[in-house]
Amino acid sequence: MEADTIRALLEQAFPDAAELDVEDRTGGGDHFQVTVASPAFDGLSLLDQHRRVNDALAAMLQDGSIHELRIKTKGTA
Amino acid sequence: MKTLQDQIGDVIEKEPVALFMKGTPEMVMCGNSMRALNALHAAGAPITTVDILPDPRIRQELSAISGWPTIPQVFVQGELVGGADITEELLESGELQRKLDEALGADRAQDVKVVALELD
Repeated sequence: MEADTIRALLEQAFPDAAELDVEDRTGGGDHFQVTVASPAFDGLSLLDQHRRVNDALAAMLQDGSIHELRIKTKGTA
Repeated sequence: MKTLQDQIGDVIEKEPVALFMKGTPEMVMCGNSMRALNALHAAGAPITTVDILPDPRIRQELSAISGWPTIPQVFVQGELVGGADITEELLESGELQRKLDEALGADRAQDVKVVALELD
């Protein structure tokens, strides 16, 4: 399951996450909404927060296993 | 003819607001490109769009320049704002309007322009 792979990658990248959710938006296994709240985002711009998520999922974005990714990030401060 | 990289760089640097999207404002080919376009409209932005679909190299070169892996991508005065999610969030918080006011003035033009890149 791609959603499980995404969750594992995000858990690895954000071990301190206060909230971590992966939703398969269409049920087709390639359109995802991810939500991450982590102290790692504290003090970062929205752009840099999203970069961190994109970096964690870079391989899956690159090989096309994620066709569409929606990102919602929050700091915890 | 300028390289694709140079043409993309020119659009980013010279256009007040650049939107790299799938399709054109008249025929948007992706929901996220539509979300970014609508958010920019709502913020009263002038918008210069580039369709990335005609050639896969456009997207490759763009992502190499921006370090951003997905489409759409929004730039204001040469600076990456983000994709559809960030653009929408900044619209809702009012920050997108503030950014545009600062960069382009409050009584800015709101023209929509389409740039077609030259492909060899």
